[in-house]
Amino acid sequence: MNQVNSKVCVVGDFAVGKTSTVERFVNNHFSDKYLTTIGVKVDTAEVDLTQDLKLKLILWDIAGTTEFKHVEMAYLRGMSGYILVADGTRLTTISAARELKTQIEATHGELPFVFLLNKSDLQHAWEVSDRQREKLVNEFSSELFVTSAKTGDHVAGAIARLAELIAERELFGPQ
Amino acid sequence: MNDLDELKSLLFGAEKQVLDSIQERVQKPETRVVDVADVLPEAVRMSHRQGKELVRNLRDPVGQCIKESFHAEPQEYADALYPVMGPAIRKSITQTLRAFAQQINQTVEQSVSARGLKWRFEAWRAGVPFGEYVVQKTLLYRIEQAYLISRENGLLIEHVHHDASRIKDSDAVSAMFTAIQDFVKESFSPDRTGRLETADMGDFTLWAVHGPHALLVCVIRGVPPRSVRTDLSAILERIHFRYGESLRVYSGDQASMGGVEDELRDCLELEELQVEEAGQRRPPVALIVLALALAATLAYFAWQRYELAGERARLLDGLNSAPGYFVAGVERDGRRFSVSGLRDPLAPPLSEIALTAGIDPARISADMRPFQSLEEQFRLQRAVESLAVPSTASVTVDGKVLRLSGTATREWLDRARSLTAVAIPDYEFDDSALQLAEIAALHDDVSRLASADFYFVEDARFRESDVQRLTNHAATIRDIADRARRLGLALEIIVTGHTDGLGAQEFNERLAQRRVDAAVQQLLRAGLDPQLIKPSIDVGAAGTAGALPTRRKVDVNLALSGPD
Repeated sequence: MNQVNSKVCVVGDFAVGKTSTVERFVNNHFSDKYLTTIGVKVDTAEVDLTQDLKLKLILWDIAGTTEFKHVEMAYLRGMSGYILVADGTRLTTISAARELKTQIEATHGELPFVFLLNKSDLQHAWEVSDRQREKLVNEFSSELFVTSAKTGDHVAGAIARLAELIAERELFGPQ
Repeated sequence: MNDLDELKSLLFGAEKQVLDSIQERVQKPETRVVDVADVLPEAVRMSHRQGKELVRNLRDPVGQCIKESFHAEPQEYADALYPVMGPAIRKSITQTLRAFAQQINQTVEQSVSARGLKWRFEAWRAGVPFGEYVVQKTLLYRIEQAYLISRENGLLIEHVHHDASRIKDSDAVSAMFTAIQDFVKESFSPDRTGRLETADMGDFTLWAVHGPHALLVCVIRGVPPRSVRTDLSAILERIHFRYGESLRVYSGDQASMGGVEDELRDCLELEELQVEEAGQRRPPVALIVLALALAATLAYFAWQRYELAGERARLLDGLNSAPGYFVAGVERDGRRFSVSGLRDPLAPPLSEIALTAGIDPARISADMRPFQSLEEQFRLQRAVESLAVPSTASVTVDGKVLRLSGTATREWLDRARSLTAVAIPDYEFDDSALQLAEIAALHDDVSRLASADFYFVEDARFRESDVQRLTNHAATIRDIADRARRLGLALEIIVTGHTDGLGAQEFNERLAQRRVDAAVQQLLRAGLDPQLIKPSIDVGAAGTAGALPTRRKVDVNLALSGPD
């Protein structure tokens, strides 16, 4: 089976559930301590694209931020795609995710990504109204996933979707 | 079309088509380009073979082209030149270092040792400078793993390792290393151009060698010489030379880098040779010297500890066997000993016991409380001291007998007898050789008064002066008699009456008796015991001519005897 490796960054505001989201899906190799020390932690996840092609995602889980500084920009270098994570119980994290996406596109151009609106299990605290959700669907279309790191809802689907997007781009070039 | 044209077409139709086609090719630039491109390589080749005209003509424009390209894209040229620049620079540096190594060599040559000579011979046989050979011999290292990592995205391109190495997910390790490097660069390099090149972790050293598109990270066990970095650079340069473009655009598809594993494996193979050599190698001299020094130090401390333990045991034995000591403890503090316990003031000094145990007394401090030991020698000594023997007497110990000799008073003797009976009841008291001072004094007095003469005027009438003298003498004798009685001695007072030889023997005897009686009368009057008095007469030889006044006398003699 052929294997292709791709670098994927996981970005978002503080405490939106980036680490928890990828945790159920990845092979852990390093302690979470790295997140608080050097601001990044690497995990890997394998996605079978076809019977004889496997994509190995090298997931760079970057410590929560609302704006990338020099170090984080260096961490983003060379990535094939990214996972934006926001917290459905805090609207500010959605605008933070938009900011980060804008910053990424300014420096890296259009790249495959998925947008995870996390913490769907906390319905009582959910702040995203139907109208806002409609707006998000229009904005991100099929790249939007409402996930729960706690229950694992839609996380695997989101990562599989990102793998597909990356594979398409790698195989067929930017659309 | 007129007739002439018709005729022309009939006669030269085919040729005209050819001419048109030639004209078209000559006039259209695109077709001319194609034609020139067809012949240009061959034309260049032929022109170059015929002479230097072409080179001369091309020198300026081509030079200009290169110059402009350099300015426009310096990085491209740097990357392109990387595989050739490295070896060239290294060669130059090697030349310099070789000269330097020769200098070191000369210095090292001064030191002559069996091993040095052996290495020198081996270096000469191998054709390697001695200094370099020494370095090879004294370093041990092994490259355990090598990662080839894309500089652009931190993706692992290839990873090789020794079978025994424990490997985590190398893709994750590679990414994390890149992250840490980015972190270090962003955090500690002011202009963000610095690179993480070395990291030390216990037995391992991590070396990163940077190329334009990839970096080579090696995990090395032990301490590698700097020359290994040069070897690694050469491998990385070779990889860049072969896979330059694939490296630059590497995006995670390992299939695009087929064969790179063999290139990378050179890192490990190169080091395996070194390790084999290392197997035959003896440990470095410095290590042996250090180990010996360490062993010697340890041995010295162990020996010293053993010595000190022996000293302590000897001291303790000495103290335990010494009379008059009760030891509570002997503590050691470094080379000093402190002794605590009880000591009889009559016991031998601690310094004497220390010297017997072979220890400098200055190394011993003592906290000894005084006490009285009941050991025999101390009881005896203490008893004898308490007797306060006068200077006229002496005491000797003979077995279990205390013998007294010399002269002493009865009072002292009585006290001494009672003291010894209490202090050393198990000793006998022998005072047979001791003379009582009182008896001696009595003898003196008796010998001084031994003989005294008292004279008569005539007949049995004392001289006036001698009457009083006899009275005084009698008082003195009475005192002596009293003392003799108290001391249990027998005193005899011998009173002898004398006459000269004139006259009849019988008369003279009666006269002598009357004189004795007169003297005895005086003595009795002074209170003397009549039983002590022994009267006798001494009459001058008959027929002696003339009167002799010196014989008209009595003499009083004293004799002391006893106590037996």
